Amino acid sequence: MWVFRKPIPRQTEILLGLAGLLTFLGAWQLVAVSGWVRPQFLPTPAAVVEAFGRLFTEQDFAIDIGISVGRVWFAFLLSVLVAVPLGLAMACFRAVGAFLEPFVDFVRYLPVPALVPLLIIWFGVGEASKIAVLVMGTFFQLLLLIVDDTKRVPAEYVESGFTLGASKWQIIRDIIFPAALPSMVNNLRITLGWCWTYLIIAEIVAASSGIGHVIWSLRRFVKTPEVMAGIVAIGIIGLLTDQAFRLLHRRAFRYLER
Amino acid sequence: MAYLDLARVSKTFLSEGRAVEAVTPVTLGIEAGQIVTFVGPSGCGKTTLMRMVGGLETPSGGEIRLAGDLLGGPDRRRGMVFQSYAAFPWKTVAGNIAMGFRYRRDLGGAEKAEGARRLIDLVGLRGFEDSYTNRISGGMRQRVAIARTLAANPDVLLMDEPFGALDALTREHLQSQLLRINRTEEKTTIFVTHDVEEAILVAHRLVVFSARPARVLDDIDVAAILPVADRDQSIRDAPDFLALRRQVQAVLRAEQRRAERQEGDNAA
Repeated sequence: MWVFRKPIPRQTEILLGLAGLLTFLGAWQLVAVSGWVRPQFLPTPAAVVEAFGRLFTEQDFAIDIGISVGRVWFAFLLSVLVAVPLGLAMACFRAVGAFLEPFVDFVRYLPVPALVPLLIIWFGVGEASKIAVLVMGTFFQLLLLIVDDTKRVPAEYVESGFTLGASKWQIIRDIIFPAALPSMVNNLRITLGWCWTYLIIAEIVAASSGIGHVIWSLRRFVKTPEVMAGIVAIGIIGLLTDQAFRLLHRRAFRYLER
Repeated sequence: MAYLDLARVSKTFLSEGRAVEAVTPVTLGIEAGQIVTFVGPSGCGKTTLMRMVGGLETPSGGEIRLAGDLLGGPDRRRGMVFQSYAAFPWKTVAGNIAMGFRYRRDLGGAEKAEGARRLIDLVGLRGFEDSYTNRISGGMRQRVAIARTLAANPDVLLMDEPFGALDALTREHLQSQLLRINRTEEKTTIFVTHDVEEAILVAHRLVVFSARPARVLDDIDVAAILPVADRDQSIRDAPDFLALRRQVQAVLRAEQRRAERQEGDNAA
């Protein structure tokens, strides 16, 4: 069991994973029923599960989830559609990179929550400002990741392309893009996770729908089980999306397997 | 003028604000269909010289002409096979070879397909057409790269230590294949290596370079000594081969001593 830096049997791995989760849940249950903490602060796991059900039956939580998922994907796809071609251009043409990099580096370091008031002034409290918060949070980070992925394509691939008679444009389309695609998809997966973080900020500050809004409004009535259930819902959505991306990665890039 | 003509070609790099001379003016005429091997101490600039022929580096001085045309940036006329495996991992063996045909406008679809079949047989990869390149051996991957380069039908084939990363047996096998391919394709080839035996074995002509900056030390008409037609691995034991190897090694050793002395003088 204590083999050093070597794999252990798959079954053991799964059992250990389950044991870890159960230990966490057990400790939580123990603290919750012990009376050390008031139930308003720490409800039992079972209470959270019940609250989870109530969210769907009494609050139309499914609609809020749909709205949040829609916002995240809209903003995410918008960022991707601009960041991928722009990132390729920045990495392939030094002039484009030199022009944009200082600006992008500056914007990237601005904390997104600090931009929220400004974005509300500009875009109002409607959908536009929420999308703007998400795009501000993801686009610039993603852009630089795409630039890095593109720069990491080995010079030999590009030079091979030129000596096969490809033009610059053909090299970008036929060689650089497919060569960088696996790491790009991996970075999309990571960036989508960040998008969720900013979504909750956007929905807490100014929204009348969405998971963030539900959590924030239930807080006012100290409905701790519901608040925790809302957080768990985000976790579950994140986990599922992440796994879907991993599956897509494995399916689409089978050639990476040895 | 020779088919591939290098006239006073030189290269000076700028490194940390200092000019470093990599290739001192080299003049060299290469005849069509010949395999010319470049040997020399590692880091001497022989690869830089070959990359200038390929248009992947710009000469600081001199000019390179192919069949009379002044050469510039890289194009399909000069194909390159790299030391590291430059086969595209997202393509199968057949897909990689198809990439060699892809940018040719002189062939129709049927001719490309026929050409691909012929090349797969030429490099002995029949049965592996649908394999991805990271599931085949290093030797096979390098054969994919060679076939892909030939598919583009370059006038000149440039090979940068193409078998350097392979084990001895695979290496010998590919050297023999290269000789065989040259007999059928008659491609003008520049082959860079630091392995003297390999340099003699595959060469019509062998050029020995000095330590940096690269300068021609010796230029041997290997084909006149060891006829190319009956060249195979067994030639390694022939007296003429061994004599040639001693000759080249003596030149390289003398150069090594000279370079070390000079370095010592510079340091002092």
